[in-house]
Amino acid sequence: MRLKQTLNTFLHSRSFLFIIVFFAITAFIPLLLRDNFFLTVMTLITIFSIYAASWNFLANSGQGSLGHAVFLGVGGFASAIIGSSISKAAVNFLGTSQMPVGGLSAIILIVALLLGGLLSAGVGLLIGLACIRLKAWYLAMVTFGFSVIAATLSSQFDSITQGINGYTTTTLVTKGYPFYLLVVLFALTSISVMYFIMNSRIGLALRAIHGNETEAKMIGVNTTKYKLLAFVISTFFAGLSGGLYTYFIRLIDNSIFSPANSFLPLIMSVIGGLGTVPGPIIGSIFFVSIQQISTLPSVVDSLNGALGPYFPSVSNVGPPLSLLTIGIILIIIVIFAPKGLISIFHKIYKYLMSEQKNNKETKPK
Amino acid sequence: MDLTAPTIILTLVWGVAIGCVYILLATGLNIIFGVMKLVNFAHGQLLMISAFLTWTISVSLGLNAYLAIIISMIIVALLGIVVERFTFRRVLGTDKLNEIFVSLGLIYIFENVAMLIWGASSKQVTSPFYGMSVSLPGFSITYDRVIAVFVVVAALATFGLLLWKTKIGLAMRATSQRNTTATLMGINVQRVYMFTFAIGAALAAVAGGLYGVIYPFDYQVGALPTIIAFAIIIMGGLGSIKGAIIGGLLYGITEQMATLFLGGTWGSAVAFTLLIVVLIIRPNGIFGEKED
Repeated sequence: MRLKQTLNTFLHSRSFLFIIVFFAITAFIPLLLRDNFFLTVMTLITIFSIYAASWNFLANSGQGSLGHAVFLGVGGFASAIIGSSISKAAVNFLGTSQMPVGGLSAIILIVALLLGGLLSAGVGLLIGLACIRLKAWYLAMVTFGFSVIAATLSSQFDSITQGINGYTTTTLVTKGYPFYLLVVLFALTSISVMYFIMNSRIGLALRAIHGNETEAKMIGVNTTKYKLLAFVISTFFAGLSGGLYTYFIRLIDNSIFSPANSFLPLIMSVIGGLGTVPGPIIGSIFFVSIQQISTLPSVVDSLNGALGPYFPSVSNVGPPLSLLTIGIILIIIVIFAPKGLISIFHKIYKYLMSEQKNNKETKPK
Repeated sequence: MDLTAPTIILTLVWGVAIGCVYILLATGLNIIFGVMKLVNFAHGQLLMISAFLTWTISVSLGLNAYLAIIISMIIVALLGIVVERFTFRRVLGTDKLNEIFVSLGLIYIFENVAMLIWGASSKQVTSPFYGMSVSLPGFSITYDRVIAVFVVVAALATFGLLLWKTKIGLAMRATSQRNTTATLMGINVQRVYMFTFAIGAALAAVAGGLYGVIYPFDYQVGALPTIIAFAIIIMGGLGSIKGAIIGGLLYGITEQMATLFLGGTWGSAVAFTLLIVVLIIRPNGIFGEKED
């Protein structure tokens, strides 16, 4: 009964409307702008929105992970391997020579992605159990340690993962717009679900734990259960985004466990606004845009033309320059606007609103 | 695999040599943590910057590599002061996560500035003793690794004297116990923080110079040593210098032994497994304080 009520309020809330409208627009923009580069950027933004949101969800319970790449990688490898085996089995069963790209293969892809997410959540449960008593930097260190171990294990069991040379995925949904639509659909569902949980009683318990774990325990919150739950939910969606990412770039290798991939969702969430729903999305738009624009041939040429002579040992100044910019912006945001870009937007919005109000009030009748 | 006694002894000696470099890094991280209650995740990037500086100074000025380390140490200590003043001081005392975020931003800045200046290819500092080694029955070890051990011992002895025999060392120890009380005793805590960070950075710089002499390095070399140093101070006990020394030697030997017995990729994985096991049993480290 209570769940139904919460669901009802959720479905009628403004934020849910925002998510729906936002993703509806996101889904249709690439139709107007028929450009491959733009579509790539949009797909990456949407995939990383899920990834960043999953990290943000975990951070909301006070647990900051520095090893989320483990789940990105586990989800990616699992869904790639599962997708290939199911489609092979399907080809054998149907007796066709090749996998038809259509409804059936889309279902296979969705099943593979969900299974990848579930496996990632399973790994998340185990790592969560190991981390349950750890806090702040201890937790950060241990989760980071798991990403090093994951990379080692993946190269050790190379016969399964083929992570050294890279595992090529089976194409199940046509690349380009169809795949993008699938990604948007997944993002819409994932972010809505996470938002819903954050606003339910579970979310309340998690925020209480974040506020003060001892006090939360005192008022009767089963902190162990809720912290583990947060870990499992977060790692499920991280695994899902890993699967989507793998099927998007069609190749996965051991570098997916790199520290840079673990830092990614954290930086996105912090830049956008930690603990908020639009935060990770805004951060993802910001991060992916800066990174992708720096790879555009025209930008690369002008950057190299202007700065190349000063940095003779680098052939292309674009990528390091974009990452440098992101580092500087991250520090500026943490120091001057700890609530992220979204708080700046809020301030501007409020300022504009009050300006309007003042104008109305001071107008002579 | 050749598991004769000399191989094992050689592995042990290598473990001690690389362990010494980690000890310096860990001691720097440890003193910053002890005094400021701050974990600087970008500590390994100071090591990386110092390795590059040592390389540049020894190449462009034609200086002896070990003299270059001293110059690089001074530069990195100044860099540490700048970093503390403009970033960490602003977030100290706010949410613990903010310190991690600032460190990450610093990692991005250091690594990409290093890549812009020095490029992506790996380099190694040419030591004046290049190719020379001490021959002992059964195995031989390069002069550079032996010198590294002595440099580390000298650096730690200087650091110990500074901490236990000088006034600023007393102020650092007082601040590490309780900074508010230290303020009441007339200690300028801000200045102690600045000094501590500079010392920590200088220790990382010496470690970086030695690392650059022993191993080839590139702009991404800093990430793993930070984590290793952190693992060491957790195993040895936060704030304990003796613990860091024992932890560093243990780590270096474990890593080299794991590489010898299980193969190259296992070195860091085994060490991290050790860290995780320690933390699962004792969430605040072996000698860590009980949570409040």
